Amino acid sequence: MLLVLSEEQKAHLSCLPRVGDAGLAAGTGGRKAGQGRRGKLDVGVDTVQHGVEGLAYLLTESSKLMISEIDFQDSIHVLGFSDELNKLLLQLYLDNRKEIRSILGELTPKLPSYHSLEWRLDVQLASRSLRQQIKPAVTIKLHLNQNEDQTAQVLQTDPSTLLHLIQQLEQALGEMKTNHCRRIVRNMK
Amino acid sequence: QRFRFCGDLDCPDWVLAEISTLAKISSVKLKLICAQVLRDLLGETMEYEKILKLTSDAKLELGDVKATIAVLGFILSSAAKHNVDGESLSSELQQLGLPKEHAAGLCRSYEEKQSSLQDRLRACSLRLSRLGSVGWRVDYTLSSSELREVNEPLVHLNFHLRDGEQDRPVAIPMVLSADKFRVLLA
Repeated sequence: MLLVLSEEQKAHLSCLPRVGDAGLAAGTGGRKAGQGRRGKLDVGVDTVQHGVEGLAYLLTESSKLMISEIDFQDSIHVLGFSDELNKLLLQLYLDNRKEIRSILGELTPKLPSYHSLEWRLDVQLASRSLRQQIKPAVTIKLHLNQNEDQTAQVLQTDPSTLLHLIQQLEQALGEMKTNHCRRIVRNMK
Repeated sequence: QRFRFCGDLDCPDWVLAEISTLAKISSVKLKLICAQVLRDLLGETMEYEKILKLTSDAKLELGDVKATIAVLGFILSSAAKHNVDGESLSSELQQLGLPKEHAAGLCRSYEEKQSSLQDRLRACSLRLSRLGSVGWRVDYTLSSSELREVNEPLVHLNFHLRDGEQDRPVAIPMVLSADKFRVLLA
């Protein structure tokens, strides 16, 4: 699969040959490095910034789509760089691919996730309306994590509802063992 | 096989796996590490550097040191949770493969601190809100725009709660007439 670069991105990346091999290798260091390069090469800050952005786009898109070496080389061939520069870009892509993919993997939107659970078993013996009762209740405090935000939900139930809940959750887990799910899991592997 | 200190359930696999790590440390050093872990369980600060020094002789890696702290924490808090006495804990740990001197040292540290550990665990149990204090004031209404002579006492109550569901101090003010207040007290 070929990576298609828009005209704007091609223009951004065209400053790379001027920056040179050393600059490119350090280019993944971000804007600070870019400013350093500007001082040495007498090139505008904007140009260097565009160059860094273009390079970042090239690397993230290639890592995202996991394109092969040949496809990558064909994609950047259209930019008309020297062979050395092409080889350097390819090496940069291959070296950093795994890391970029793991960072991209963390950017998905997240629902609140389980952090911890506290529980308590109480028995109500009497109330203002009725004396001499026996009413057990389970109180649960569910601690959840969402993007470094900690929230807590307090829930209360009687033991029979809790048993029913456990039974439903075990049934849900049991679904994994049916033929349908097993077939899908086997195909995914 | 059922163990009392695990709440009459099977011992977790990871605990079983770490028993052999515990056996690598000498029994004297293990007792000192236990003392540090007990400090952490009781809410005081644990001196991690001391534990690192004590485990350096046994040449444990960082992962093993953390595993040791985790397994000791589990054994001690679980034993306190299920109210296991020192002797039973010692025999159960020996059944799991911990050498006799190690088990004896561990259980002696446990027995010393068992009741304070249980008190601490009781205090940490789930509580939704606690009443901190109650402030009150009695006013006497002389008259109002509706009626010239009112002459009624009025009770102001302010309940200060701690540890609500949001873990913040909350104040709940309320105003009661004399009759309602009598109903509340009755």
